[in-house]
Amino acid sequence: MTDVTTTAVTGAQPDIAPRQRRHNVALWVSVGWLILVVASAVLAPWLGFLDDPHKPLSGPPEEGPSWSNWFGTDQLGRDMFARSVWGGRLSLSIAGPAVGIGIVVGGVLGVVAGYFGKWIDLGISSVVNVALALPALVFALFIVTMLGQSYLNVTIAVTILTIPAIARIARAQALRFAAREFVTVADMMGAKWPRLLFREVLPNVVPALASIAFLAMGIVIIAEGSLSFIGVSVGSPSITWGNILSAGKGRLEDAPHIALITGGVMFVTLMALNFVGDEMLRRLDVREARI
Amino acid sequence: MLRFFGTRLAQLALVVLAVTLLFYWMLNLLPGNPCVAAFGGAATEEQIAECERDRNLGDPVIVQWAKWGGDVLTGDFGKSYLTGRSFGEALNTALPRTLLLLVYSQFLALGAAIPLGLWSGYKQNSVSDKIASGGAFALLSIPVFVLGLVLILVFAVRLDWFDLSGYQPISEGLVAHFKVMFLPSVTLAAGLLPVYLRLLRTDVIGTLQEDFVGTARAKGLPVRHVLIRHVLRPSSFTLLTIFGIQAAQAVNGAIVVEFLFDLDGVGSLLVSWVAAREFLLVQTLVALIAAVFVTVTTMVDLLYSVLDPRVRRK
Repeated sequence: MTDVTTTAVTGAQPDIAPRQRRHNVALWVSVGWLILVVASAVLAPWLGFLDDPHKPLSGPPEEGPSWSNWFGTDQLGRDMFARSVWGGRLSLSIAGPAVGIGIVVGGVLGVVAGYFGKWIDLGISSVVNVALALPALVFALFIVTMLGQSYLNVTIAVTILTIPAIARIARAQALRFAAREFVTVADMMGAKWPRLLFREVLPNVVPALASIAFLAMGIVIIAEGSLSFIGVSVGSPSITWGNILSAGKGRLEDAPHIALITGGVMFVTLMALNFVGDEMLRRLDVREARI
Repeated sequence: MLRFFGTRLAQLALVVLAVTLLFYWMLNLLPGNPCVAAFGGAATEEQIAECERDRNLGDPVIVQWAKWGGDVLTGDFGKSYLTGRSFGEALNTALPRTLLLLVYSQFLALGAAIPLGLWSGYKQNSVSDKIASGGAFALLSIPVFVLGLVLILVFAVRLDWFDLSGYQPISEGLVAHFKVMFLPSVTLAAGLLPVYLRLLRTDVIGTLQEDFVGTARAKGLPVRHVLIRHVLRPSSFTLLTIFGIQAAQAVNGAIVVEFLFDLDGVGSLLVSWVAAREFLLVQTLVALIAAVFVTVTTMVDLLYSVLDPRVRRK
C-alpha cells in the first residue's frame, strides 16, 4: 500500500518541457559540483597533487592564482587550493553529522508530534516554536563558549540548531499524511500504531526530509562558517572555510584572492545545495517545507 | 488573544528558566574558580573575595541561580570584573548601534522587496521576473560574511566611497554616519530581501486571481494603483508572519556584520564576553535577547489578527 502512495506522491509533475530541460541541466551541474566537493574533501589526505595545507612557502607569499598554486597563496605562502580543500573537509565533516543527527532527531520529534497530536504535540511544538523565534547564532555562541571550542562541541552546537526547523517540517508532513485515506484504511483494518507510524506515515515523510537535508546542509555550513569567521569555532591551526575568510579579511587590499576564491567556492557549494534541495521539494510536491 | 499571548510568554519563561538552570549546573562542573578566571588571572585576594560574594559562590547551585534570576528581574545585571564596566553601561553604547543597523537593513530590504515582489508577481514568468527570482536565489545562497567581504573590497577598498573606521553616531553628521552604516546595512539587507521577495511574489500571484482585482481593473484603474491599493495589503500577511522569524535571523547576521565592519554593537559585545569567558554576562545577555525575541514574534502574531479582519472574527 505504501508503494502505491509513494509513487503517486513522487510521480513527475507535468511541466513545460524546455523549462524542465533547463532545470535538469542545472540539477546535474549542481550534483556534479557537490560530488566533486565531497570527493575532494573525503580523499584530501590521499590526493598526491595536493600540497600540504600547513606547509609555508609552497610558492611566493600572497601570489594570485598560478599554474603551480591554482588558487594562489596566502600570507605565509601556503597553497590556497589545498587550504580550500582541507577547509571544506572540516566544514563538511561538521555539517554532515550535524545534519544527519538533526534529520533523525528532528524527524522523529516532528513525526511523533504530528502523528500523536494532543499533549505530546503541544509539548514538542512549544519548545520548537520558542526555539525558532530565537537568534540561532547567539545560542550556538553560547553553547560553544560553555562547552569549549572543539570539533565535537561545534558539531553539537550546530546540530541543536537544525533540530527545531526540521521537526517543524516533519510535523507538518506527518499531519498531512496521517489524515490520508490509506492511513485511515490501515487503521480500520486493525493495524496497531507502530505499524501505522512506521509503515504508513514515516515512509511518506522521508522523501521530504531527504530534500530538506540539502537545504539544512547549506544552513549548517553558513552557521559553522559564521562561527569560525568570528573566531568561535574549532581552534586556529585547523582550517575551515570560515577562518580562511576571516584571515583573508585583513588582506583584502593586497591579496583579495584569499577571501574571494574561498568565498566563491563556498557560494557555489551553497547554491548547488539549495538548488538540489529546491528541485527535490518541487518534484516531490512538498508544500510548507521552507526552512 | 490575551490567552495566546500568555501561553507564549509562559512557554518562553519555562525555556529560559530551564536553559539558565542547566547553564548554571554546567558552569559548576567546570574546573577552577570562575572568579579567578573572570579577572583574567590577575586579581588580589580581596577582589576575588568580593566577586565570590557577588556571585554567591558559597551557595548551592540552585540558590546561586535563583539569586541571579532575582538580580536580573530587579534590574541588577552584574558587571565585567575584567574591565569594571557594568552590564548596563556596555549595553548603553552597543544597543543603539545594533538597533539602527537592524532598522536600516529592514527598511532597505522591505523597500526593495515590496516593489520588486509586486512587479514580479504581476509580470509572472517575464524576463524581469526571472532575473529577480534568479537574483533572489543567488542572494539566498551567499553567506553574509562572503557578501560583506566583496562589498568592502569593491566599495570601500577599491572605490573608497565608504568608511571602515568604526561607528560614527548621527550627532557626528548624517554623512559621516551613513558612510559607516550604509555598507553594513546593505550586507544585512541582502540576506532578508530574497526571503521577502519570494513570499510576496507568491502571495501577489494568488491575490491577482481574486475577483476584486478583476473589478478594479475593469473599472479602469491604472495598474500601479491596483497593485498598491488593492493587491499589496491582502498579499502582505505571510510577509508579516515571517517578519518576526526574520528579525531573529537578522540578529545572526548582525553579529557577523558587526564583526566584519568593526561596529562594536550587541553582537560584538557578546563575542568579546565570550572571548573573555565572562560566562555570567553572556548568560544574562542571551536570556534578555531570548525574551525580547519571543515577545516580538508574539506581538507580530497579534498584529496579524489586527490587520486581517478574517482572522479577528474567529
